[in-house]
Amino acid sequence: MGRLVLTRREQTLRGGQPLAFLIGIVTALSIGILLLVISGHDPMAVYERMFDSSVGSPKSWSLTLNRAVPLGLAGLAVAVAGSMGLWNIGAEGQILAGAMMAAWIARIGEGWPSPLLITVMLLAAISGGALLGLGPAIARAQIGVNEIITTLMLNEVALRLLQWLIHGPWKDPESKGFPLAPMLPGEARLPDLFERAHWGAVIALIVIALFGLVASKTAWGYELRVAGSSGETARFAGISLKRKIMTVLVLSGGIAGLAGGIELSGNADRIVEGVSGGYGFAGIIVAALALMRPSGVAAVALLFGAVQVGGLSIQTMGVSSSVSTILQALILFGAIGAGVFSRYTLKRVRKEQDSIKAEPNE
Amino acid sequence: MSEASMIGLLTAAVSFGALLYLAALGELISEKAGILNLGVEGMMAMGAVTGFMVALETENAWLALIVAMLVGALFALIHGLFTVVLGAEQVVSGLSLTILGLGLAAFVGKNAVGRPPGAVLAPVDWGGLSDIPWVGPILFSQSPIVYFAIFCGVVTSFVLTRTSTGLALRGAGESASTVDASGHSVVQLRLGAVAMGGALAGAAGAYLTLCLTPQWTEGVTAGRGWIAVALVIFGAWRPGRCAIGALLFGGLLALKTRLQTFGVDLSPILLSMIPYVLTIGVLIVISIRARNRPSSSPAALGQAYRREER
Repeated sequence: MGRLVLTRREQTLRGGQPLAFLIGIVTALSIGILLLVISGHDPMAVYERMFDSSVGSPKSWSLTLNRAVPLGLAGLAVAVAGSMGLWNIGAEGQILAGAMMAAWIARIGEGWPSPLLITVMLLAAISGGALLGLGPAIARAQIGVNEIITTLMLNEVALRLLQWLIHGPWKDPESKGFPLAPMLPGEARLPDLFERAHWGAVIALIVIALFGLVASKTAWGYELRVAGSSGETARFAGISLKRKIMTVLVLSGGIAGLAGGIELSGNADRIVEGVSGGYGFAGIIVAALALMRPSGVAAVALLFGAVQVGGLSIQTMGVSSSVSTILQALILFGAIGAGVFSRYTLKRVRKEQDSIKAEPNE
Repeated sequence: MSEASMIGLLTAAVSFGALLYLAALGELISEKAGILNLGVEGMMAMGAVTGFMVALETENAWLALIVAMLVGALFALIHGLFTVVLGAEQVVSGLSLTILGLGLAAFVGKNAVGRPPGAVLAPVDWGGLSDIPWVGPILFSQSPIVYFAIFCGVVTSFVLTRTSTGLALRGAGESASTVDASGHSVVQLRLGAVAMGGALAGAAGAYLTLCLTPQWTEGVTAGRGWIAVALVIFGAWRPGRCAIGALLFGGLLALKTRLQTFGVDLSPILLSMIPYVLTIGVLIVISIRARNRPSSSPAALGQAYRREER
């Protein structure tokens, strides 16, 4: 007899995370089947539709790719902060800030040639997100204010700011009283890559690869990891923690801002409240599943993009699109659960041993 | 500004405040034990849909409230399982709980959208008390959940400061190994706190769909879970201060739809930014003060505890 206790493995299982990820997907799909059966749907038909609509044809791939772009950039934003042990929960608001800045440029840049307009829009988007990241960055670096809460609160502030713009200064006089911003000019639209996909996918991939390279190959990236694993060691090595914290949080905000700019320019007719579409929060799950690694972020973002496109497609079958939201969260829980067992193992502890163990042993 | 509209504003401030207070108290209990749960919004949504659905089926609002609290507690225990038992990252698990809760609630409630409520929680009849000018309508015309929220606040404050369980619970959030060495189970204390947090968030959700806006729509929680998280910080992890904050934030929510009545020329949208901005301000003040004296936030908040690794 006895009870089960989690014990750390001597060595972390190799290939643990991809395996955990896979287990997460299987867990999510299994629970999904259960939910669908209970609610009177044919789970296999639903999954088949989700699969076909997200990866079944070039067109469906293009839709998946378009969703993977903001997911991947938001995921990268979280991962950049996460590589130093910081949490940026504000990607949702930074996406909005980026989209707002891009929309503002589109308003004042009417008549500019398209490549110029789009470039300035995206740069403005980066600065918008970075600006929203700057506050929490200063507060954290200078006073030690917990960045989780400040970034979280700024999400709501950014959302209210956008609502105010749409209801007030930016309201389209021709919208017949509806709170809508005017349509974006055609020059502000990102050109198409193939089918529905726009060039945002290329930009996102470059940004993700670039950070991956910088983080793994440069001294700066090395310092980042040292600072993330131990502040003490970093101080001995002469790395300025304050400066690192500032850089990382502002960079993280800028990347999320870029996601907002691309989303506006590539996918939206006009700026709306829903332009951030929950990508910022989903990005946290993406980054967590990728263990804060850029290469992993791209892969997970693609999968989540597919799940989201699939979720939208099943609405015509009378199934709530919330199935995709549920699946995304379940993949994460399944993967965390499985991930724990790549580092830990269950051991049965006998009563006597247990009571010995309970003695303080410092 | 007429007397009637002032009374209306204060009455609404109390009823909105109670909603925020319930959810914030739950988060406070959880955080006091060292577990940050960013799943409040999701737990509220689960409570809201459960309450509404049970009321539809049974036409019994009280039963609906109780089931919503149970579902909230069970749902929160998912976060408990992953963070307390498996030691997962609290931020990630909590946010996933929010996403899962919003998704599940939308899925479960799909056919309940737009339906009239099966039952609502009617205001308590206090007899002659509700005729007292000002005090009567503001305090003695409220739904039972408002009094429940006040009751919960008093009990929480008492348990946390005056009982050994409360002491152990706070210990779990300050220094888990000390509590462990004193013979308490950190896992049980933390799981209990997380479940309580879920139950209160569930009650807040049910309060929405059984009383404040008696219908179910996707997104009925409308970010109020985040205000509850803010409120805990605003109240510096103290039930009493949180109550004051809840009245203030509740008042802002109530004022939003009444600005024009009061002849104030301010966008209600900008007004609704205030709670978040205030919370950031309070957090900065707390952080500056923490340099010279002990911080008011639980020391072990956000840290997993594994006995073998202490």
